[in-house]
Amino acid sequence: MAGPSVEQVNQEILRPLVRTSWRYYLTAGILGSIVLAAFFAFLYQVNSGIGVSGLDRPVFWGFYITNFVFWIGISHAGTLISAILRLTHAGWRRPVTRCAEAITVFALMIGASFPIIHLGRPYLFFWLLPYPSVRGIWPNFHSPLLWDAFAITTYLTGSTIFLYLPTIPDFALVRDKARGRRKKIYHVLSLGWKGTPRQWHRLEMAMRIMAVVILPVAVSVHTIVSWDFAMPPVPMWHSTAFGPYFVAGAIFSGIAALIIAMALLRKAFHLEQYLTPFHFDKLGKLLLLMSLVWGYFIVAERMTVWYGNESSEMAVYSSSAQGQFTHLFWIMVFCNLLIPFFILSIKNFRTITGTVIASITVVIGMWLERFLIIVPSLERKYLPFTWGAYRPSWVEITITAGTFAAMALLYMIFSKLVPIISVWELKLGLRQEGQSPRSALAPAKPSPIIAQPGLAAPGE
Amino acid sequence: MDRRSFLKISAVGSATAALDACGKPEHQLIRFIPEEDLIPGIASWKPGVCTRCPAGCGIQVRVMQGEAEVTRDGKLGLISMGLAKKIEGNPEHPVNRGKLCAWGQAGLQVTYNPDRIRFPLKRSGPRGSGEYQMISWEEAVTELVSHLSAAGSAGRPSPVAFLTQRLRDHRGMLIEKFLDALGAPPAVHFEFFEQTVLRRANELSFGHYQMPTFDLANADYVISFGADFLGTWNSPVSQNFAYGELRQGRPELRGRFVQVEARMSQTGANADEWVYAKPGTEGMLALGLAHVMIAEKLRPRESASAMGRLIHGWTEGLQDYTPDKVAGPTGVESARIQRLARDIAAHTPAVAMIGGAPLALTNGLDNALAVNALNALLGSVGKPGGIFFTPQPLLEGLPSLKEGSSVRALSEGILKGSSQVKVLMLFNANPVFASPSAWRVQEAFEKVPFIASFGSFVDETSILSDLILPDHSYLESWVDNIPESGTLLSVASLAAPPMAPLHHTRAMPDVLLDAAHRLGGDVAKAMPWKTYSDVLQAAFEPLAHRNGSISAKTDDDFWSATQRDGGWWSSETKASPAAPGANRPHAQVKITEAKFDGDETEYPFHFLPYASQQFGDGTHANLPWMQEMSDVISTAMWCTWVEVNPQTAGRLGIQQGDLIEVASPHGKLQAPAILSRGIAPDVVAMPIGQGHEQFGRYASGRGVNPIKILAPREEPETGELAWAATRVKIRPAGGKGKLILLAGSEREWPGKSQQR
Amino acid sequence: MERQWGMVIDLDRCTGCEACVVACHAENNIATVGEDGAARGRAMHWIQVQRYWEGEFPDVRLKYQPVLCQQCGDAPCESVCPVYATYHNPDGLNAQVYNRCIGTRYCANACPYNARVFNFYNPVWDKPLGLQLNPDVSVRSVGIMEKCTFCIQRVKKAEVQAQESKQPIKDGEVKPACVQSCPAKAMVFGDLNDPKSKVSQLARSNRATRLLEEVGARPNVIYLRSVS
Ligand SMILES: Nc1nc2c(c(=O)[nH]1)N[C@H]1C(S)=C(S)[C@@H](COP(=O)(O)OP(=O)(O)OC[C@H]3O[C@@H](n4cnc5c(=O)[nH]c(N)nc54)[C@H](O)[C@@H]3O)O[C@H]1N2
Ligand SMILES: Nc1nc2c(c(=O)[nH]1)N[C@H]1C(S)=C(S)[C@@H](COP(=O)(O)OP(=O)(O)OC[C@H]3O[C@@H](n4cnc5c(=O)[nH]c(N)nc54)[C@H](O)[C@@H]3O)O[C@H]1N2
Ligand code: SF4
Ligand code: SF4
Ligand code: SF4
Ligand code: SF4
Ligand code: SF4
Repeated sequence: MAGPSVEQVNQEILRPLVRTSWRYYLTAGILGSIVLAAFFAFLYQVNSGIGVSGLDRPVFWGFYITNFVFWIGISHAGTLISAILRLTHAGWRRPVTRCAEAITVFALMIGASFPIIHLGRPYLFFWLLPYPSVRGIWPNFHSPLLWDAFAITTYLTGSTIFLYLPTIPDFALVRDKARGRRKKIYHVLSLGWKGTPRQWHRLEMAMRIMAVVILPVAVSVHTIVSWDFAMPPVPMWHSTAFGPYFVAGAIFSGIAALIIAMALLRKAFHLEQYLTPFHFDKLGKLLLLMSLVWGYFIVAERMTVWYGNESSEMAVYSSSAQGQFTHLFWIMVFCNLLIPFFILSIKNFRTITGTVIASITVVIGMWLERFLIIVPSLERKYLPFTWGAYRPSWVEITITAGTFAAMALLYMIFSKLVPIISVWELKLGLRQEGQSPRSALAPAKPSPIIAQPGLAAPGE
Repeated sequence: MDRRSFLKISAVGSATAALDACGKPEHQLIRFIPEEDLIPGIASWKPGVCTRCPAGCGIQVRVMQGEAEVTRDGKLGLISMGLAKKIEGNPEHPVNRGKLCAWGQAGLQVTYNPDRIRFPLKRSGPRGSGEYQMISWEEAVTELVSHLSAAGSAGRPSPVAFLTQRLRDHRGMLIEKFLDALGAPPAVHFEFFEQTVLRRANELSFGHYQMPTFDLANADYVISFGADFLGTWNSPVSQNFAYGELRQGRPELRGRFVQVEARMSQTGANADEWVYAKPGTEGMLALGLAHVMIAEKLRPRESASAMGRLIHGWTEGLQDYTPDKVAGPTGVESARIQRLARDIAAHTPAVAMIGGAPLALTNGLDNALAVNALNALLGSVGKPGGIFFTPQPLLEGLPSLKEGSSVRALSEGILKGSSQVKVLMLFNANPVFASPSAWRVQEAFEKVPFIASFGSFVDETSILSDLILPDHSYLESWVDNIPESGTLLSVASLAAPPMAPLHHTRAMPDVLLDAAHRLGGDVAKAMPWKTYSDVLQAAFEPLAHRNGSISAKTDDDFWSATQRDGGWWSSETKASPAAPGANRPHAQVKITEAKFDGDETEYPFHFLPYASQQFGDGTHANLPWMQEMSDVISTAMWCTWVEVNPQTAGRLGIQQGDLIEVASPHGKLQAPAILSRGIAPDVVAMPIGQGHEQFGRYASGRGVNPIKILAPREEPETGELAWAATRVKIRPAGGKGKLILLAGSEREWPGKSQQR
Repeated sequence: MERQWGMVIDLDRCTGCEACVVACHAENNIATVGEDGAARGRAMHWIQVQRYWEGEFPDVRLKYQPVLCQQCGDAPCESVCPVYATYHNPDGLNAQVYNRCIGTRYCANACPYNARVFNFYNPVWDKPLGLQLNPDVSVRSVGIMEKCTFCIQRVKKAEVQAQESKQPIKDGEVKPACVQSCPAKAMVFGDLNDPKSKVSQLARSNRATRLLEEVGARPNVIYLRSVS
């Protein structure tokens, strides 16, 4: 079968920007109301006190911090992955990068809201930020929470730029096609992009730099998030492995999220030609790899604790080995290890459906993993007399549900404003590799990210 | 949602907030002129006396200026006044030496309790409905007087009864004089944990109708038969203080301590050795120990003298109490009995004590006499490290501990019609809550035409009253107290009111005096004083001339010095018991077998209600601090429970928190189970104090009251309630009960979530 | 030489009576959380008399151990607080600045002793119970962390008086509420840096231990083992 022509690409990929079906509004409406419910739940909590959550003594952190770590983890989908793919010139990246980078930005926004949502006095969140207060008091730079604040803001800024840069030519494309108010908006967004060789060259340079810079940032972010737990002397938190363990977990869950997002887009916007089984197969392999890496870490972590047999740690260990968390623990292992391995290691199962199923279990499994890292340690911290238990309240559950809805909603809106697949990169692929989408997605020859100057700006 | 609607929401929020801010009375109340001049922020410590239990510890109250909402001549307003902010022990006081127990600390919540009665009340609804209307003190006293005079003219003995807690102060004297002048019988005393049995035993053994004092600080070996002397029994603070010295007060010597009981109390938890003896066999065990000492010539039999001779078979060397004979009934192996006996004998000074459940049995007096004899044999009577009796300062007209009849007799009389009661006065006694249903106290009191209560709270008894004349709190009144035990000195505590009355209340003795004057005639003549402080000044005068803590030139100096120090105490430090035998000679005692109510096969468990660390006999249940202080054994808060041995529970398929039914021949109740390792398999125990129907917002409708299923058994000689002589059966009642524990390791998942 | 306030708790004297618990509530305006709060494990005791069973009936023992903030020398709670709401003061006390606390509850997680309690709701004192409040101690509102302060208000008072009177603080002059009330005299408070003080003498006893020493928080509360 023949691949899409340039005109097809313009039409099909820009279609979502011009046409909107009733299904879209319906879905948006449903998601919106869930988000709204979560928002009211939060207002209710602010008004009556954090007591409306299920938190207690000694389990002072629960669902909220779980969500925080989870969403920051998800954010590692995009920027990190697309940066790696760009740097390795993986040709098949082209249709993937943008929806990946978008995930990062939104997941970060959601994740970053939880350190505020969970505060006893959320209206004072700004004390976490270093600003010259009238009292001349600065925040405590020893506190991992402060490092979070820095790491996350940096990552958010970085990945926003990383998302924005390659979108400029597409904004230009839309600008040229649109008219009226839209034209004005996209005119601003495209920063007067003309597609001159100089502009192409600048863009290329900027993206090279960003791709290199964003990698260590991404890695550092989840390392620092892991330090929230690794730094204080809490049984089974206080672990040197947490840095890489969290980063691996983050990429793991990130890829899963990406696969799900792609599948949805593919269905919703009929992008079958661009997001092909080939992509899902590749990402599936990547997911399998990360699943095994994750498995390695969980074994390493629990092995050392079990072998070391240190009483305070064993108290926590046993609650997931043969205690109140055993069920959740094994569900997690199934979701993160067994099911993905079964599906992804068998070629015939590595279909779109297959990878999506695996991805969904991974997302569930990784949320559980965050929960099982945080809560059991707090329930059984040292002195048995002070041990406690935790059950989430409806407020926490509502807010958690709200974040998933928010993610989907933001994504839907985004796909209405920005071409969800990088049009020009795709065309470039098509140009370089002739017409076959199959080969267009094969690894590009180690040529510069962007074709040689003189090539006219795509889209005219 | 868009930004505007968000602003709307938060605006609503802040608007309501603003509203109830203006709604707060502080913002509308008038400001009264302060009645006392105080410097804000400057604290003054004023001496007082703790009345939260009979021990009578000396306290000092931290008083600071503050803002109080008060009613003054009918108007509600704000006044700047001295407020009690903290209660601490009076360091000079011989009983507690500056220390306090949890109850003493919680005293503030009595004075500031939201459920305190704030002004005189007259019943406006049907009896027991709790519907009252506010009246003036003039009306209130007139009402009381009219009923009293009506009763007074009804011939002799006049049909007036006064029911009160046992008072160790001159309010007791006033009440007696008042009743006497009215031609009414003496006051009826009621406390659930009345100590009549032990007092009687001490009278027979030592010639002192009084609670004992132990010189633990100098003891080398202590064996306690059921006495929770570190918890709620006798004089807890002084005993805790001495216990600390027993353990670590002497560089080279750490005193040993053995506890004998059927359910581990806080005291038992601190013992070096905890011995389980079958309920009712404590006296037998004591004699078993005595037998070994005598037989092995560890102690000369004669040293027990008359106290021994009281015991049947003593002179023959207690042949019926050989370890082998005793082992069976007590459940303590004979070898262990011998070891214990030799241990005790090897350590001088050694002292034995008995209290609590072993006395609350049909053979309670026998058990007490046996332990007293053991003490005598050990040579610990009146010797350092032994047993003493706090010398009582000879104060004018103090009622002796013997006086007064029992509530049981009163209600029986009323129900039978044999005793006429037209007017009943109540003061700090709550028998409707704290007596077995079989006594039918409520039924009896409902027959009384007119009941007046002086109490500060509406409880199960005072809710039956037609007139309430609320007393000041003990931080607002003149208080005196003669400690019955807890010190080797002769002590008379005294305190002026640390703070002014918060509410429109009046001290009970002052109301009595007022009433007496209005009644005129003999009554007025019998009670010449104007106020209670006059009574006290007159009563304390003789002490000025005895050598003690205060040497003052004039009586006025002495009077002010007594108030400054919080009382007077003698300087001579020792008090040995007088010659035994006491007033009337007593037949030799053979330790009888304890008789329990309820057939053993149908009711297989001994039922052991005990004085809770949180609530005592229930008096402290209306204080939030006590409800939230975790129980010292179960760590439970805000609830009641039944303690069951884990093996027993396993046998009956009962798990922690399961609701179980406890049934005696006299009633049944339901409460959640606590599996406690510190209780015998054939015993179930319950704390007393919860299960109030009427006792303010914190206590009412919380938990269940074990007293209600007790059998009306008595110790025959004293007629005292044998509250440990009931048998029960238990069974799972289905479902979980409300069990709230502080101990997290016992908050098993999902147990805790079920409690939510 | 700088002061280091510390406490010795003699477990051989302690009878588990919990007078210290109520004394602390009364002194430090600690709110009661009521039945539901307690059931959810939110009771706010700054000092808990912990108790542990040993053995089975009839050879059963119960051990009491009062646990309050151990005023750690290397307090894990301090380094993690993002706003310095909990910090180390010059007397070596682990101080808590209520007004600065934003309620992350991170400190409570970091505390190995679970010594910290949190205001999940605004405290309520049914009128006129509020009159019992100690004016020397500020009342904490919802969303704020709190814990045993070694009764810093009493410490400060003594220090101010000492400055005014130019007299050094005498050993045993400062008594936190729990220490003051303890009927068995199980608790002793004083300057651990003063070798002559009672507390430092007891701290040198061969019965002296520290709680969870292996965690390395260097607590300034020393327990004297019970002998039997
Ligand atoms: N943790 C913590 N502690 C704090 C603060 C904090 O933010 N956090 N704030 C601190 C600050 S800034 C301050 S200023 C203090 C305030 O603390 P305080 O000034 O001690 O408390 P107030 O209740 O404001 O005032 C004391 C008393 O003055 C009485 N009063 C009112 N009017 C008069 C009058 O005309 N004459 C007299 N003689 N008495 C009067 C009031 O009834 C009140 O009882 O608290 C300090 N304490
Ligand atoms: N209702 C009422 N009003 C009063 C008084 C009162 O007692 N009651 N007292 C009066 C008196 S005496 C005074 S001094 C003033 C005091 O009034 P304020 O100066 O407002 O004193 P606070 O309320 O103690 O502190 C103000 C805010 O600073 C916050 N804060 C603490 N640390 C920091 C920080 O590092 N950075 C920032 N940005 N904020 C911080 C506190 O949490 C609080 O919300 O109030 C006056 N007004
Ligand atoms: S023992 Fe406790 S309650 Fe009794 S008087 Fe002393 S302090 Fe008060
Ligand atoms: S007050 Fe003293 S004896 Fe009582 S529990 Fe506290 S530390 Fe132990
Ligand atoms: S005990 Fe806990 S709260 Fe207290 S200083 Fe140590 S770490 Fe901080
Ligand atoms: S809860 Fe308060 S004190 Fe604790 S870390 Fe957070 S801000 Fe600091
Ligand atoms: S030192 Fe003060 S704050 Fe700490 S437990 Fe004792 S009384 Fe409470």
